[in-house]
Amino acid sequence: MKKYLSIFFLLPALLLLPGCGGGDNKEESGENGGDEKFPAQDVTAEMEAYYKEKSEFFHFKTPEDIPADLEWTDNNQLSEIGSPKAKKGGTANARLQDYPATLRVVGPDANGSFRNYLLDEVSVNLAHRHPETLEFFPGLAQEWAIDKANKTVYVKLDPKATWSDGEPVTTDDFFFMFFFFQSKYIQAPWYNNWYGTQYTGITKFDDRTFSISVPEAKPDMDSRVLELGPKPAHFFKELGNDYPQRYQWRFQPTTGAYVVKDSDVKKGRSIALSRHKEWWALDKKHWRYRFNPDRIEFKVIRDTSKAFEEFKVGNLDGFGLSLAEYWYQKLADDNPLVQNGYIKKVTFYNDRPRPPYGLWINQAKPLLSNKDIRIGISYASNWDRVIEKYFRNDYTRMKTSSDGFASFSHPTLKARPFDIEKAVEHFAKAGFTKRGNDGILVDSTGNRLSFTLTTGYESLKDMLPILRQEARKAGLDLKLEVLDGTSAWKKTQEKKHDIVFSAFGTFVEMYPRFWESWHSVNAYETDEDGKKKVKTQTNNITSTAVPELDELIIKYRKSEDAEEMKQLAHKMDEIIHDEAAFVPGFVQPFYRMGYWRWVNYPDDFNVKISDGAGEWFLSWIDEEAKKETLEARKAGKTFPPSIKVYDQYKID
Amino acid sequence: MLGFELNPVTRKRLRRFQEIRRGYYSLIALVVLIGFSLFAELFISNRALIVKYDGKLHFPTYGRFQPGTKFGLDYEYETNYRKLQKKFREDENSKNWVLMPFVPYGPEEENYKDNDTYPPYPPSRETKHYLGTDQIARDVLAQLVYGFRIAIMFSLMLMVATYLLSVIIGCAMGYFGGLFDLIGQRIVEIWSVIPFLYVVIIIAAIIQPGFWTLLIIMAAFSWMGMTYYMRTGTYKEKERDYTAAARVLGAGTPRIIFRHILPNTLSTLVTFIPFTVAAGITSLTALDFLGFGLPSGTPSWGDLLKSGNENIRLAPWIILSTVSSMVFVLTLVTFVGEAIREAFDPKKFTTYR
Repeated sequence: MKKYLSIFFLLPALLLLPGCGGGDNKEESGENGGDEKFPAQDVTAEMEAYYKEKSEFFHFKTPEDIPADLEWTDNNQLSEIGSPKAKKGGTANARLQDYPATLRVVGPDANGSFRNYLLDEVSVNLAHRHPETLEFFPGLAQEWAIDKANKTVYVKLDPKATWSDGEPVTTDDFFFMFFFFQSKYIQAPWYNNWYGTQYTGITKFDDRTFSISVPEAKPDMDSRVLELGPKPAHFFKELGNDYPQRYQWRFQPTTGAYVVKDSDVKKGRSIALSRHKEWWALDKKHWRYRFNPDRIEFKVIRDTSKAFEEFKVGNLDGFGLSLAEYWYQKLADDNPLVQNGYIKKVTFYNDRPRPPYGLWINQAKPLLSNKDIRIGISYASNWDRVIEKYFRNDYTRMKTSSDGFASFSHPTLKARPFDIEKAVEHFAKAGFTKRGNDGILVDSTGNRLSFTLTTGYESLKDMLPILRQEARKAGLDLKLEVLDGTSAWKKTQEKKHDIVFSAFGTFVEMYPRFWESWHSVNAYETDEDGKKKVKTQTNNITSTAVPELDELIIKYRKSEDAEEMKQLAHKMDEIIHDEAAFVPGFVQPFYRMGYWRWVNYPDDFNVKISDGAGEWFLSWIDEEAKKETLEARKAGKTFPPSIKVYDQYKID
Repeated sequence: MLGFELNPVTRKRLRRFQEIRRGYYSLIALVVLIGFSLFAELFISNRALIVKYDGKLHFPTYGRFQPGTKFGLDYEYETNYRKLQKKFREDENSKNWVLMPFVPYGPEEENYKDNDTYPPYPPSRETKHYLGTDQIARDVLAQLVYGFRIAIMFSLMLMVATYLLSVIIGCAMGYFGGLFDLIGQRIVEIWSVIPFLYVVIIIAAIIQPGFWTLLIIMAAFSWMGMTYYMRTGTYKEKERDYTAAARVLGAGTPRIIFRHILPNTLSTLVTFIPFTVAAGITSLTALDFLGFGLPSGTPSWGDLLKSGNENIRLAPWIILSTVSSMVFVLTLVTFVGEAIREAFDPKKFTTYR
């Protein structure tokens, strides 16, 4: 759930530098040294006292108290995920750009990209959204019931559900989850806030039955509860002030298929996931054809071009080819590796909420508070040329900040096209009528029409010179500032940027969010002297404050009717378009990759709502084919080439 | 400050330097290169040298921007002179003409072609990308030349700044000695162990440094080494009879330092100059390569090395031309340095051979 407010960011390179010089520091890992360093402690008493003290949140009842008229669902009728042809076994080889800073999934430094493999994409929650239909299919929950009137979701746990260390998953683990996330020990304020405000209580009926209540009965209120994952109370017994250090390199027992063994943690170099052979969901529908390789080995390769070379010799199983230069040039269709059938190329059109890539204009800055200048900037941004030249027409232009939410997205609205005349006209309205010596517009007081364009996306920096060069034609100067991911994000969060090229991570949900990015409470606050000042550390990075929009956002937040919410969403999209504080950039409607022929995917390749081929763990490894391929390559034997496009989910 | 006369020994050394031909010619070549890069706009630029339009001559190279409307085009922004040239040529009756520089591209300008081909474009005489382009269609030769200009200017200024600092501090430590020297030495020691690269990386990650900020940061962390030489040199000269004589004659501290001690110690520094310049170029290139250097878009050898490395199979011309230029320039600098070192070798002028 943490995903939803985070921008994709890279760990700062400098934090990693000390890690790369170190020799063999295997001895440090594991728990042996840990026991002396961390004296025994037990949080159980404190936990029990907490439950008692917050009796309005933690309720204990008996099975008789479960309302009799509940409608239980299990959604077992939803279609299977993955292919019945999938075979378990084999070793997959993958690459990490940075070594994970910790094995914890919560707390300082835990929000790195490796967390996907420890938690987000691997562990089993109560239920998960089906990647074709968005309905929930069962995970830890055997069945569940929704009581809209009382804003409560009832859950019966699957009796088989077990932690990877053999302990059963019980209601207590969900109680502990709230204790854990509300605790100060974990040093994660976002979780403290979320689990403290977005839920109103949990009730235990028996060891496998409980209910959780939420403050509002939104149309997707079920997701608030069903997407929860428990925390193993027995494992976090030693929770305390030293939590970040104590649990830094301890792998938390998981409900998912993959575990990390201590012996596989080679700090700075490699880490591996091992398949849990007695996994409780091994034969469960929706889960049985996934998580196939016995081992997934991750090697740290910092340099992308080096990783690409490793891929081409077969040390890595797959490589993302979404960038045009890789797809068309570095591994072109006529490349011998492809033509000889060793490496397969695939394009898969997915259909999911799109990350809003574009220019976010900070209205708290002097000139940018002028709407005409913002509209001018919109017209002066030549995304079409970026898409045509840099992305080679593979990507499409983004329309609004909330594309990809089906009928919740605006049906007709389009982003402003590149139009020098209109841009100049709007700049002139703002007083910028004359061109200075360098061709940049100036106003009567001598202000230059010049802004800093910041970004934290090193990999996309090459498209910015195009925007810059084209904007000059309209008399607009964009100074490019490419920072590392964390610094750019920090600058944006402190609202010190002029314009930032960025995107928010979107995850699969029913309707777009507006409050975080557009409500004025996230833009300004008043200090003790009653003075208005910019509010930092929020996601309203455009400093938008429009009273009408605020009203709609609150209405939308409170609304429990999907139809009304759609109308409101469209209206808000229109206001956001008029305000012109966001210049929509591009949409990548597919993902592309190359993979060695020993990797197999289902016949229709992947599921509709996926943001990468690996997200749902559908592939399986054929070790025989691997041997055969590598030998064939030596002997010069070839296979039929395979370059495929899966466009069953393509939307035009 | 340099109002003193070179002493005879120094003059002898300079003459000796001229006799070492490899170093001497390298110096000349370097000076020519720097001179050429200072006027690079006349040879490599996307702005025309001369435009003849409606009977009038225009010289856009160094002037203010020229809107397209000035030459009968329908846009307000800077004229695209290459297209203008093409247009004039296609019209046979036209008396208008455009003279473009040898390489008609700017260093920061993307030149995606309008057909279905994509960069990096290989070297070609026909397109006038004599060393090809990088992955976003920027001319490699233009980037090399403008990158060299920035690197060498940066490096020279860095040298002046660090020497100024180290001469002042080193001299003061040597001359005043005592407690000042003791404390100064400790500060220098502490300052030297701060890992310079980390500091630059940390600062660069927070603010994107411009030319001057980077210069200041780098100067602040590279003056320490030279203070040792200045300090010992000053200690030595201070105890000499001529210094004592000057003091007896009533000369003040500044006079003694600037007129007597400095001229006699500076020669040590001279031998270091070429190597400091080379180090300046390489560290700027390294920082740019790592992405912590000058702002994105500034032509730089580090950027070129990076894109060359990323496209080593696809576009070997990028890395080849950049590495060759670097080797060439750094070799020149080293030759000069060697020659100076030899010319200034005290053994040459001593009787104790």
